[in-house]
Amino acid sequence: MKLLAPELAAYQSQPKQLPSGSFGKNALLRLRFETRGDRSILAFSDRRAPLLVQRALYCDEGLPSMPVVFIISNSGGILQGDRYTMEFVVEPHACAHITTQAATKIHEMDANYAAQTQEIRLEEGAYLEFLPDMVIPFRHARFHTSTRIKIAPSATLLYSEILTCGRQYYREGEVFQFDVFSSTVRAERLDDTELFVEKFVIEPQRAAVPRLGIMGEFTVFGNVILLTPPEHADAIHGQVEAVWNHEEQWAAGASRLPNDAGLVYKVVGKESSVVRAKVREFQALVRPQVTGSCVPPEFSWR
Amino acid sequence: MMSTMLDQRELMRAEDSSCESFAHLKSAMPTIPALMRVLQFGDSVLPVGAFTFSNGLESAIEQGLVHDLDSLQEFVLVAAEQAASADGIAVLAAYRAAREGDEDRIDEVDRAVFNRKLNEEIRTMTVRMGRKLAEMADRVLDGHDARLASGWLSRIKDGKAPGCYPVGQGLLFASLGLAEQDAFAVHQYGLASMMVAASLRLMKLHYLDAQAVLFAVNCEAAAAYERIARSSLEDMATFAPAIDVLACVHVGANVRMFMN
Repeated sequence: MKLLAPELAAYQSQPKQLPSGSFGKNALLRLRFETRGDRSILAFSDRRAPLLVQRALYCDEGLPSMPVVFIISNSGGILQGDRYTMEFVVEPHACAHITTQAATKIHEMDANYAAQTQEIRLEEGAYLEFLPDMVIPFRHARFHTSTRIKIAPSATLLYSEILTCGRQYYREGEVFQFDVFSSTVRAERLDDTELFVEKFVIEPQRAAVPRLGIMGEFTVFGNVILLTPPEHADAIHGQVEAVWNHEEQWAAGASRLPNDAGLVYKVVGKESSVVRAKVREFQALVRPQVTGSCVPPEFSWR
Repeated sequence: MMSTMLDQRELMRAEDSSCESFAHLKSAMPTIPALMRVLQFGDSVLPVGAFTFSNGLESAIEQGLVHDLDSLQEFVLVAAEQAASADGIAVLAAYRAAREGDEDRIDEVDRAVFNRKLNEEIRTMTVRMGRKLAEMADRVLDGHDARLASGWLSRIKDGKAPGCYPVGQGLLFASLGLAEQDAFAVHQYGLASMMVAASLRLMKLHYLDAQAVLFAVNCEAAAAYERIARSSLEDMATFAPAIDVLACVHVGANVRMFMN
């Protein structure tokens, strides 16, 4: 069998529970948004357990015409042998916000690995915020995620990934004790022209993570990708200050992506709440610039 | 340092003695000219502008993260590790494409490197040094040996190829008939020597201690090569969020000695 990635070579054994990728482990979630009248709607959804969505809500007071979709898992987290597929399409000039109901827990594994593929397609003038909650990889978790983005030059995608070191305060502290975390994001224009590729592979047992230049003393990493036309990217880049804050123990900065694709914003911190707040601050720069609407204060129960 | 690198290379060649691709090199390339070429094109004062870059070290020192010999060594070691698992793979891919004379593949590797440089200062560094290397090879190499480098240079000038430095290194070493291990070693050495040279200008450090750091970092190169020698372009990966943020902090810094 062909390897999905070389970093998974050591984790090919089959789980004693359900076989990898079998029913109940092969989640599928397909969502399509389009405009209807003066608002956008979730026009199509297809789902297979353990991922599901309910109907779209219009609960964002800053953008009341934007459907908000919460991804829900009925399995309590990602388990060994899981194979998830997600496909999101935003039709011309439609907008949407996709997030998760809670943090994604990747459970401890003793066989195989979990893998996820995401396909995101944005047509002309589309606007999508895909800001899932943080990912918590438990001890010996092995996770491979691959995201392919297809985006029209006039569309905007705000995409974030927040990775924690594990259950930081569980027992004596589960800090970077997972086996492998591999994430690839590839962005292309609709005609397949490549914009950029970012692949990171973290194998804490092979290459220690708490070293200078990698995570140092930090334990939470936020990676935010903003694909947007250059005029928006320039305006937002001018408002983001690169900071190394020694008192509050976080650091963040933005850079222009190759091929005028947009910006990448990276945050590291010692608490997920701090990193989440920085990601939200960045979102609060993006949405007014691109849509003219504001990001309201976060719900107090989030 | 150089003798260690060459010993290693000989070792690898010996291990690879069954490999036909190196068999002709042993007979065709006497040791002294080969060594002289490795020395010349692996030299830290090769005029490609390496001295204007610190690869994130200036910010790391400014922020107090790197402040003594141990922290310097850790930081340079991490940077070398990251370079091996990303650009190092590209050096080998470009080298192998050049050995086949496959210019389309060389450009493919070039774009793959460029599209993975998410920080603009790092992008500037790689294409600036790459172009200088192409210009130098075009001028210095003999007619036939210069063919690939000259073609690459004209594609860079026409905007058809980005001109990333590791691609140039692979292409140059293939054109010179040297081994791919030489190209990889020189790539790793170039990065570490650039950072160590910068450290002498940025922090209080004894120049002999700086050499000790370089020596320690170089000891890791053979294992790094073994790890990536069979990797494909798709496997190019990094994970150094702190270095990425430091690079962003550097763009906005008021006082800078280096360009990154």
